[in-house]
Amino acid sequence: MAHHDHHAPDLSAGNIGGGKFGALAPRLFLAGWPLFAFGCWMALRGDNIADGARAYLVAMVLALATCLGALFFVIVQHLTRAGWSVAVRRPAEAIAQNLRWIWILFLPIAWMGWTGKLVDLYPWADLGVLRSIAPAEAELVANKAGYLNQKFFFVRSAAYFAVWALLANFFWSSSVRQDRTGSPSISARCRKWSGPAMILFGLSTTFASFDWIMSLSPAWFSTMFGVYFFAVCATCGLSAVTLTCIALQRGGQLRGIVTAEHYHDLGKLLFAFGIVFWAYIAFSQFMLIWYGNLPEETAWFLPRQVGQWYWISWGLLLGHFILPFVLLISRWPKRWPSSLAVGCAWMYLFGVVDICYLVLPHIPHDLAEFTDYRAFAEKHAADGPHGPGLPFLVAGAVLLVFAGTARALRREQSLASRDPSLAESLAFENM
Amino acid sequence: MHGFTEIDNTADTPGTRAPLVLGATRFHEVTATVCRPNESTRPPMAWTVMFVISLLLVMNLGFCVNYLIFTGVGVWGLNNPVMWAFDITNFVFWVGIGHAGTLISAILFLFRQKWRTGINRFAEAMTIFAVICAGLFPGIHVGRVWMAYWLFPIPNQMEMWPQFRSPLLWDVFAVSTYFTVSLMFWYVGLIPDLATMRDRAKGKVQQIAYGLFALGWRGSNRHWHRYERAYLLLAALSTPLVLSVHSVVSFDFATSQLPGWHTTIFPPYFVAGAIFSGFAMVVTLAVPARELFGLKNLITLRHLDNMNKVILVTGCMVGYAYGMEFFIAWYSGALYEKFAFMNRAFGQYAWAYWIMVSCNVITPQLFWSKTVRTSIPLMFILSLFVNVGMWFERFVIIVSSLANDFLPTSWDKFVPTWVDIGTMLGAFGLFGVLFLLFCRFLPMIAIAEVKAVMPQADPHWEGWQHGNGAGAHVAAAHEPGESGSRSA
Repeated sequence: MAHHDHHAPDLSAGNIGGGKFGALAPRLFLAGWPLFAFGCWMALRGDNIADGARAYLVAMVLALATCLGALFFVIVQHLTRAGWSVAVRRPAEAIAQNLRWIWILFLPIAWMGWTGKLVDLYPWADLGVLRSIAPAEAELVANKAGYLNQKFFFVRSAAYFAVWALLANFFWSSSVRQDRTGSPSISARCRKWSGPAMILFGLSTTFASFDWIMSLSPAWFSTMFGVYFFAVCATCGLSAVTLTCIALQRGGQLRGIVTAEHYHDLGKLLFAFGIVFWAYIAFSQFMLIWYGNLPEETAWFLPRQVGQWYWISWGLLLGHFILPFVLLISRWPKRWPSSLAVGCAWMYLFGVVDICYLVLPHIPHDLAEFTDYRAFAEKHAADGPHGPGLPFLVAGAVLLVFAGTARALRREQSLASRDPSLAESLAFENM
Repeated sequence: MHGFTEIDNTADTPGTRAPLVLGATRFHEVTATVCRPNESTRPPMAWTVMFVISLLLVMNLGFCVNYLIFTGVGVWGLNNPVMWAFDITNFVFWVGIGHAGTLISAILFLFRQKWRTGINRFAEAMTIFAVICAGLFPGIHVGRVWMAYWLFPIPNQMEMWPQFRSPLLWDVFAVSTYFTVSLMFWYVGLIPDLATMRDRAKGKVQQIAYGLFALGWRGSNRHWHRYERAYLLLAALSTPLVLSVHSVVSFDFATSQLPGWHTTIFPPYFVAGAIFSGFAMVVTLAVPARELFGLKNLITLRHLDNMNKVILVTGCMVGYAYGMEFFIAWYSGALYEKFAFMNRAFGQYAWAYWIMVSCNVITPQLFWSKTVRTSIPLMFILSLFVNVGMWFERFVIIVSSLANDFLPTSWDKFVPTWVDIGTMLGAFGLFGVLFLLFCRFLPMIAIAEVKAVMPQADPHWEGWQHGNGAGAHVAAAHEPGESGSRSA
């Protein structure tokens, strides 16, 4: 129950629509598509598209991670029967519902499979080619051909997109249906299915990260990789949800509905998952591989420690963990929308850097030539991120995700106004 | 309270919150209910029986440990490849048990999970006792126990230092920090309740004993203000500990190059497993305790239902980790990795592996059913299964990887001796004695915190105007011995 000394917030249609943010949708689309298409053209033209395909993959993974992070947020609210978050759940649902069309972004990769170019991206796609460059690696990879083969790869990819579209659609359409009917049984149904949804989410994101990112270096493996990718999703998703809420409010909506209390909690979640949990997982994975010092595992980190990647690795430690940890640990930066928006934009930017770090570097095939690290570092001192069209692709993908979000929020309300727990969320205060 | 029928407060109606305290309409009733077991002249018969059994096990522990010290670690079943077995299994098991207490007191506190107030006190007590049991094992495992202080980096004239790059040393720091912070947290939380016990005490001895530890608490506004600050800070300090302690324990294994140990998912996997086993232990203890001491109105079916859900979630996480390990062992293409996992599932310790899988992954799935989650006998049995399964998990990880390592010529089999088994049972006895003493002499439930989640504690509560528990709001302030009631 809302307390009697609270002013009842304005729940009229004028305050819970898409506002100026929703009105941006056509312009975001108009800017996003050409940028993305131009990036695609730059990345995927020509005969050797190895670097371009990776740049494309960065953009696709970024769009996915943003929506998957938002989907995780939605599922976990139902799973824990959360009351505080009702006021900010619709923007998250709106980001997640992009998963219904996001399979389109996979089409260029399907096209690469169709035209026999997939091997430019994934060395396992043609063992003959791999054998001619790196026979030892090819022998290792041949062992896993039962999993890493083109047919099964595309079947799995289709399954992931189907699962995500299904989950996102379920939570989105249930929630907007409740705007019309106000039926509490819809909430009960979302809660009931949130458990299985979380399991589907966990398994699909894990194996998607194995297939699309880990298998870029097909000989390399890490049991932690799925969890790492989840941390990437949480970073991008939670910062995008917060930024959407702020954009809606700046656009004249949700006034008096989303308060400093909600921002504070969103900030805490980003702090916990995007900053601390990410660092915990990244550190554990790195430290255990560094300490074990087995060549088949360290090979993945070697190219990330030479040339420009050396600075990017340190940049991640500093920009994804240390700086935001110091800046967001206090109470006020999370409660003041302006500082929180800067923090979220910063974390989103480092989410992009992290995805580049995961996707762009190649493990060089000449590894066996070196007897010590210094010789390797000298030889590869010039290595750095190569990705034709990368800035266009990334900007285009982000604009498209936000365009899809804005469009959804223009067509439907930006608040789950008849959720039975809304009153609890409106009256919510941090301790 | 005996013969009390179970009230079902587990129904979930969206938009409403179920009551967490049943029956009580006045704060004083909560105080009386919690203090009754401590103030009764005689403990229940079941308590005495359990205490005697635990005490016998502790005597057995003393015997086994002394026998070990006077004879040497050869009395254990260890052999050349299997140099860690029951000792380290027990260590990891007990450290893991502690994690539920820290999660409940720290993370659920930060998550504003109000139901934690019913169970946090004795889950925290459980944490401290479990860490004591855990600490015993590395201590006696070093062989020459009189040199156990070498584990700590103490400056000495021989210039002997522990290996700072070894995760075993990190363990010393992680576990001792964990124990210190947990003890602080538990004790700070106890202070208002100790004051309540002091004010209610009839005998001089009790008054002095509780009074000494209540640190002169009067329940003043200023006291509460500082108390809440300290509590929040301690919660924030404890939160990273939930992750760090068992992560460091997992490093003991994962930094090695041994197949089955060296895998990157170990830190979060161990943390999930620790919370899983810890919650199972809380259910194992809460079910009889609420029955025996008449606490069913405070540890309600809803509390148990929630804990069973946490067990289900963490059980799924553990199952995910098992699956990832197996999949990546195959995917890695590494011969030894593949062998290590096939050997776990089908080798000489296959029986232990399948006990682990059945108890940790398969049977907890029954908790998807609400009927099972709210059935007292079923949840008790399932929680015992989880305890067994999580003990075996550590056994399987440690022993199966060591017994069949890289060189088949050095393979061997570990068979526990009576000293191994006696020490393991003895640790349960030690835990039992400490826990039973706690039940007898300290308030098992955080009285002040429970009151704060009652609707009457809300400054806007209007129930008293509607004749609902008339006067509770006002009465609590004037109740004798209520210096611990937060909202008075």
